[in-house]
Amino acid sequence: MQVIKVQKLFQKTLFGVFALFGFIGVSTSILLIYTVDSYLTEEYETNSAGIAQSIADSSVDILLNRDLSALQSLIDQFVEIQGISYVYITDETGEFLAHTFVPGVPDQIRNSEPATNTTVQRQLPGMGDFVEVSRPILAGVAGAVHVGMDTGIIALQVQRAIGRQVYLISIVFVVGVLAAVWLVSLASRPIGEALTYAVALARGEEEQAAPVEGILARNDEAGQLARLFLHFYRHRAPSTPSTDGTA
Amino acid sequence: MMRDRRSLISAGIAGGLTWPWLRTLAETADSGITDTEVILGMSAAFSGPSRGLGIELYRGASAYFDDVNYNGGISGRRISLKIYDDGYQPDASVNNTMQLMLEDRVFLLFGYVGTPTVTRVLPLLKKFQDQSVFLFFPFTGAQPQREPPYGDFAFNLRASYLQETAGLVDNFVRIGRRRIAVFYQADAYGRSGWVGVRTALARHGERIAGEATYSRGTQFTATLRPQVEILQAAEPDAVICVGAYAACAAFARDAVDLGLEVPIANVSFVGSENLLALLTEGRERADSERYTRLLVNSQVVPSYEDTSIPAVLEYREFMQRYNPAVPAELVTEAYTPFDHSFVSLEGFLSAKLMVEILRRLGDEPARADLQQAVFSLEDFDLGLSERVSFADGRRQGLQQVFYTVVDGDRFVTLNDWDERFS
Repeated sequence: MQVIKVQKLFQKTLFGVFALFGFIGVSTSILLIYTVDSYLTEEYETNSAGIAQSIADSSVDILLNRDLSALQSLIDQFVEIQGISYVYITDETGEFLAHTFVPGVPDQIRNSEPATNTTVQRQLPGMGDFVEVSRPILAGVAGAVHVGMDTGIIALQVQRAIGRQVYLISIVFVVGVLAAVWLVSLASRPIGEALTYAVALARGEEEQAAPVEGILARNDEAGQLARLFLHFYRHRAPSTPSTDGTA
Repeated sequence: MMRDRRSLISAGIAGGLTWPWLRTLAETADSGITDTEVILGMSAAFSGPSRGLGIELYRGASAYFDDVNYNGGISGRRISLKIYDDGYQPDASVNNTMQLMLEDRVFLLFGYVGTPTVTRVLPLLKKFQDQSVFLFFPFTGAQPQREPPYGDFAFNLRASYLQETAGLVDNFVRIGRRRIAVFYQADAYGRSGWVGVRTALARHGERIAGEATYSRGTQFTATLRPQVEILQAAEPDAVICVGAYAACAAFARDAVDLGLEVPIANVSFVGSENLLALLTEGRERADSERYTRLLVNSQVVPSYEDTSIPAVLEYREFMQRYNPAVPAELVTEAYTPFDHSFVSLEGFLSAKLMVEILRRLGDEPARADLQQAVFSLEDFDLGLSERVSFADGRRQGLQQVFYTVVDGDRFVTLNDWDERFS
């Protein structure tokens, strides 16, 4: 006798597992994007400000006493740091004294108002998106240092973090689904046996139900249900003949 | 017996205590000097797109050193060059200098190539100033090794970029070309030239008409059209380039191709023969002329074609006799040297002056006496029309700037700016 499968009962559960994982994946990714993005942005802005301040402090002596090539040499070393895309130094009138742009200072920067102590977002055509931090040299009377950090680096870091997250969630999801299928299968088997047993009793085939009698020995709800069916079967009222002669 | 033992112990202790000190003193005093050798340290570009500069400078210097060595050296000591390749990269130059100063313990540094490299090396000389390691005759006209706080650690032979660019600007302005743009390498070298042009223009009441930059290491095969377009928009009367030959040749090519038909000037560092070779080799004569007819290069040594100059005659003779080659271990890329070039002539003159300074140190050369030996040079005849003098506060030997233009397949002295460019 074939045991009846009752896995349909758990399809909603499986769907729920899928939905839950999806929700966890999406919500943690959004949280991760927000957290990593704001953390890195804050860190990059802090670093830029630190670097800009450091150059501004070093520049005073060079601007007052030395050749601008020494200043250029100084800022060239900073663009070797990952994330720093450009550095430029302007004098108090806004004239560019040293910069790291190739092939030239972008028009958007050249035409912008001279700033000495600000943080601005810049979109430079053909170059990308940047956070630009400015710090004054000698309180601004000798000009200002401007450091541009590529926000594309932040986006790349976020992408990497998300990639790692998706990778982890995918593994957990596959393991979770396999575990859910196994658990559902484990849970549905005794219920199926109880159902098979009940059907056999209903047909008055107590002997036929013998292969699944093991269900009566179970201590769980399926065993109790089977024993209840057996109790009803054995204490059932004598059957009343129906009008069409069937029991 | 007991007394002898005590004496022995005392002598041993005294010897043990004083030996390291004596050894350090001996090492310091004898650094780079043996009974048979004077060792000079050199870091320059022998690879990469600017390798022609290091190779030519080395060849010119070696021609003179070879002759000195052939004739018995200085006080019986041969001149030996310890050479490293920095590829014209600042970090490599710093590492090479550390190696030369601390490991190889050379007597002095000689013939470095480039502003971004030298600028980064100068603080090392200050850091180890107690060892009196000086840098002699670097192939750069930048200011950092001519001014405080590092000017005391270097001696220059050539005129500065300020002098070269001032001469170019003055001549352009004199012939009515007042709108001058700058094309320069985006580093300390380019900035040095940019400052020179800006300063010279300010004296004429002008400002830089337009500017464009390129990255150090740019090859001749690269396109520099964006830079040409930026400068074209400024409508300049002339362009002054402050770069290395590969990029400057590419710029001149693209400028002509895009119709920027104005004089294009280069400073001495460019390496004129290398520039010319890139613009002419493999081209029809008409094409070559089209790319080179508006070039004007400033030089810090006279034309090597002018055999009326004794130093030039000597240079040509020594180059032919010794034809020095770069040590095989430094040859990583193909390069065909020139029989003569402005760069190798500068190397030759630097070596000649270096030898004179070493001779003035006498039979027991010591680093501590180097500065005094240099300052003793007064109106020294190097074989040029200009005499060489050094003194405290005067650490540059030559002041003269020459201007050259292309005639056929070579650079010749420019005599008439009006006729050529008006």
